[in-house]
Amino acid sequence: MVLEYQVMINTVQYAFFYLVFSIPLTLSYRTTKVINFAHANLITYGAYTAIFLHGVAGLNIMSLATVVAFLVTGSIAVLNNVLVFTPLQRKGSPPSIVMIASMGLWIVYKYLLYIATDIANYYTSRNFMSYGRITYLDIPRGVGPSQALVAGLAIALITVVSLYVLLERTKIGRAMRAVADNPLLAEISGIPRTLVVNLTWFVCGGIVGAGGVVWTSFSGATTPEVGDSMILQVFTVSFVGGLISLLRTGVGAVLIAAVENVGIALLNTYFGVPVSFKPFLTFTTLLAILIAFPPLGAGGGLPYRFLRRGRGSD
Amino acid sequence: MLTEKLIKVSMPAIGRVSNTMVARNTMALALVAVLVLGLAAGYGLAVATGSGRVTTATVGGSVATVTVTSAPTKKVFSIGVTLPLSGELSSIGKIWEKVVQLAFEDLNREVQAYGFNVEFRAVVLDDGTSEEKALQNVQSFAQQGIKVVIGPATSAQVKVVKSYVDSNKIVIISPSSTAPTLAIPNDFIFRTVGSDAGQAKVLATLAFQEGVRKVVVFHRNDEYGKAFADFFERYFKELGGTAIKIPYQTGLPDYASEVAALASRVQSEGADAVVLIAFDTDGANILSHAAESPVLSGVRWFISEGPHSAEELLSQAIGQFASKVRLLGTRPLFIANPLYEDLKKRMVQRFGVEPSVFCENLYDAVKLAGWAILRAGTYDGEAIRAALVEVAKTYYGPSGWTMFDPQGDKAQQDYGIWAIVPGGPKGYQFKDVGLYERGTVIFLEQPYQ
Repeated sequence: MVLEYQVMINTVQYAFFYLVFSIPLTLSYRTTKVINFAHANLITYGAYTAIFLHGVAGLNIMSLATVVAFLVTGSIAVLNNVLVFTPLQRKGSPPSIVMIASMGLWIVYKYLLYIATDIANYYTSRNFMSYGRITYLDIPRGVGPSQALVAGLAIALITVVSLYVLLERTKIGRAMRAVADNPLLAEISGIPRTLVVNLTWFVCGGIVGAGGVVWTSFSGATTPEVGDSMILQVFTVSFVGGLISLLRTGVGAVLIAAVENVGIALLNTYFGVPVSFKPFLTFTTLLAILIAFPPLGAGGGLPYRFLRRGRGSD
Repeated sequence: MLTEKLIKVSMPAIGRVSNTMVARNTMALALVAVLVLGLAAGYGLAVATGSGRVTTATVGGSVATVTVTSAPTKKVFSIGVTLPLSGELSSIGKIWEKVVQLAFEDLNREVQAYGFNVEFRAVVLDDGTSEEKALQNVQSFAQQGIKVVIGPATSAQVKVVKSYVDSNKIVIISPSSTAPTLAIPNDFIFRTVGSDAGQAKVLATLAFQEGVRKVVVFHRNDEYGKAFADFFERYFKELGGTAIKIPYQTGLPDYASEVAALASRVQSEGADAVVLIAFDTDGANILSHAAESPVLSGVRWFISEGPHSAEELLSQAIGQFASKVRLLGTRPLFIANPLYEDLKKRMVQRFGVEPSVFCENLYDAVKLAGWAILRAGTYDGEAIRAALVEVAKTYYGPSGWTMFDPQGDKAQQDYGIWAIVPGGPKGYQFKDVGLYERGTVIFLEQPYQ
């Protein structure tokens, strides 16, 4: 026995999650140049939209939960931009200040959610601080793969296909790419930059929230800190993509999922490395990648178009 | 004292100036000023000195007449409470919050019945089940002049606050820290629960008695998990079994890959049981993934007290898994204690929840803290520490007899065996099905047929 089949299943499952959580991070960064730590809240709020729908309203329909979560987290992302990021940028704040503001938002949202779970707990006397796995009515179950795997595959496919169509085949998508390449030039050529940026935030926030809903069908216990404990891994995946390339971010999702599952299982089986070394392995990979392929997109590095010519990314 | 004078000064002033509107405004302002000053002074006195012997019972008997001349004769003692209201113990932390409320109400009623004109006030802070926040909380209690703190919950947290409270002479009473490594004499740490050296022995006995000979111990990689696993391994070996330890990293968003690695190991070692040493959120997470693994559904499961009473464990998937693997857990409990039954009944009536693991130890911790402060006669850490030891010798509560051993841990700790069985409003419920008595586990009923 080399690897249990469950290890492979987990790898695939995590690859789906990392894909859905990281691609929007890369896309939002390259379009807006904001390193958004409140990205963690989008995951958590997506999951909690499903949890509140289930625990308070008694609804366990995933399609409904994903739509609601998309709207909720998409709106949160737009609000963050309109109320915090844009005013700061207009005042000429450097990216580091905007990043620190996003950290502030991260903490604020976290505690708002704690307040919400307390209120929900008061009215329903259910525990929302740690919520067990939700079984959904509208996802095939029983024989074969788990609900989370089916839902994960669906959400990952929908995300990749719709983003491809949006970015490559529509006018607004081309505008989004133009803003990412050179915001000033895009604005001069008549692209409504504010609208494009807000739309990017909405789409990115929404996708992450929908991914959060799928998480509730997978995780054994979801807590208001689920996004927080995952955010560094999600950033790692995006760093693999240099915070620029969506394709390479996708590769990063598979890579990190494999390292965290297959890698640790092999090390544990053959070398007796404790499984508690998993986070260590993830971040060693991150460091190796950062040194081997410096993230050209980070810190407002090379413009996208230069990259594209040089390396053929995206 | 200051407040008294201020009130005396302001009283005649009220009579003189009540005729005109302007004067009325002035009076209102003066009153507000007096109130603010009075409150500040009173608060300062209560917190800063907090001392002075509580006088005789007759003071309490004439409360009405005393308050007319001087309002703040009722002495207020603040007791710090640091609870895991968020983080990995949040499920039970929320229940503990209610126990704290109940215990302080009972304590205040009780001391007043004895004629003490004092009030104990809980200053509750959330520590997020994290070590850093627990230390921050204790430091902020210290800044407020608080000398007695209930909590923190976990052994890792207790370990982190230990040097601070020892050097600042703050008495810590943890209701749930059980790591044997913290059983240290002459420090300021008390635990109203026995150390896990005892529980590990019970769990080892239980597993061995159930016919298990080779186990994989899957444990939290922290103070609690490591110490528990070490002691379990020692006792299980003494009985003649083999234990393989696998630590897992805590605070992860999910444990699917850890559980997969556990399954591989169980299969490759040919183990016939898993012993899980976990808290509630991680425990529930691990069990729900284990329920999907054919390998892990084919071996017996034994669990520490940590995940007991977590609501997530009562789902259908875990309930079915529990009966398939005949899951049994241990927990510190004095089974069939009428005082515990009474606390349970009151918790259900008042808050609609059953007490979780350690609720009785928490309740007794609050009571002991209050009585120790009164016995000490002065709000001073060292005096309270000495008094606490004496008070605990003669106190008997829902957790049983609370006497401390020389290390400051509960000297007489009994253990119960729990299972997850069908029933209750959620479909499944926790049930205490047995107890440990003189080296053997005695089942009061067979939970799984």
